[in-house]
Amino acid sequence: MIRLLLPVAGAVLFFALSWATVFLLRPRDPKRFFLGYALLLLVAAALTYRALWPLDRIEDALGLVCDLLLQLLACLTMWNAFYSVLWGFSGSLMHDLFNEPALCHRDRLIRSYEGEGDLDRILARRLPNLVRGGWVDHRDGMLRLRPKGVVMAVGTLASFKVFSLGMGGGVK
Amino acid sequence: MLLRLVAAVLTLFALQAVLVAVISAVRPRGNVYFTVVGVALVTAALAAVADRLLFGRPLDSDGRLFLTLTHLALGGFLFHFLTLPDRSVTLRILVELLLAPDRALSLGDLAARYGVRTMIGSRLEQLRDGGCLSIAADGAIALLPRGRSFGRAVTAGRRVFRITSAN
Repeated sequence: MIRLLLPVAGAVLFFALSWATVFLLRPRDPKRFFLGYALLLLVAAALTYRALWPLDRIEDALGLVCDLLLQLLACLTMWNAFYSVLWGFSGSLMHDLFNEPALCHRDRLIRSYEGEGDLDRILARRLPNLVRGGWVDHRDGMLRLRPKGVVMAVGTLASFKVFSLGMGGGVK
Repeated sequence: MLLRLVAAVLTLFALQAVLVAVISAVRPRGNVYFTVVGVALVTAALAAVADRLLFGRPLDSDGRLFLTLTHLALGGFLFHFLTLPDRSVTLRILVELLLAPDRALSLGDLAARYGVRTMIGSRLEQLRDGGCLSIAADGAIALLPRGRSFGRAVTAGRRVFRITSAN
C-alpha cells in the first residue's frame, strides 16, 4: 500500500511545478512545460520505485505500472482541468457571466464573442495555433487542411463514429 | 513478464473502450462520461478476479489491488481521451474542413457550419441542463447557485494561476 504514496507525491510535485511556472514565468504555451514535468516525474517515479522495490515478482512490476499510470492520470487530470475549466470555453462563459452582469443576455453574450473584426474571439485564439502548428493553411481568407490536419481530422471523425459522439466540438 | 504486463494493460483498456462504444451505440443520447465511469467501476470487480486469465497464476492481495487500480486508471484515460473529440473546438474545426469540398472553407463558410452562435447557444443549453443557469424566453440569463459556484471557482482558479485572458 505504501507504494501508492509515490504517485501522490508525483502529482503534488506536478501541481507545484506547474503552478510556479504559470504564475511566475507566464509562458505563452504552458502545455510544453506540463508535458515536460509529467515525463520527468514519470522517470523519477520509475527510478525511485525500482530503487525501493526491485522487480522480482509480477506483483512488483504490476505495482510499478499501476503507480506510473495513476501518476500520469493525476497529471493529465490537472492539465485538462487547467485548460478546459480555467482556459476553456464553458469555464470562460461562466467566468464572464459571473463577473460581468451586463453579459447576462444571450444576444449580448454572443456579440461579445463575435467582436468587430473578421475573426470571432474563439477563432482568433485557435486559428494562429492551427496555422503555426502546420494543421491548416490560412491564405486569402480561405482555410485549407494540411496533411497533418487530415490525419488528426480523420482520427477525430473515427472517434465520433466509434463512440457515437455526434459531431463533437461541445455541440449537442 | 513485460509482455504479459503490456498485454494485460491493453486488454483491460480495450475491454472498457469496446463496452463504452457498444453502450454509446445503444444509447446515443446518453452521457458518454457517465458511461465511462459506470463501465470502469462495474468491470473493476471483474479485473480484480482476472489475475489467472491475465497472468496465468493468482496474484497476492497487493497484486490484485494494483490490477484493480490499473484498470480504474485506464478508465480515467478513456474519460480524458473522449473529452478531446467531444469537447474540443479545434478538433471540430479540423473535421469541418475535412468534410468540406477540397478540404477548404472560407471563414464565413466555417462560421455558417460551426460558428460562435451555434457554439455559445449549445454550451448555454448544456449549462442550463446542468443546473448552472436559466434562460428566459427573451434571452435573459440568470445564474443559479451551482452556476455562481462554478463562476466563483473559475475566477478563483484564474487568480491562483494569474490568467488574465482566456478561452
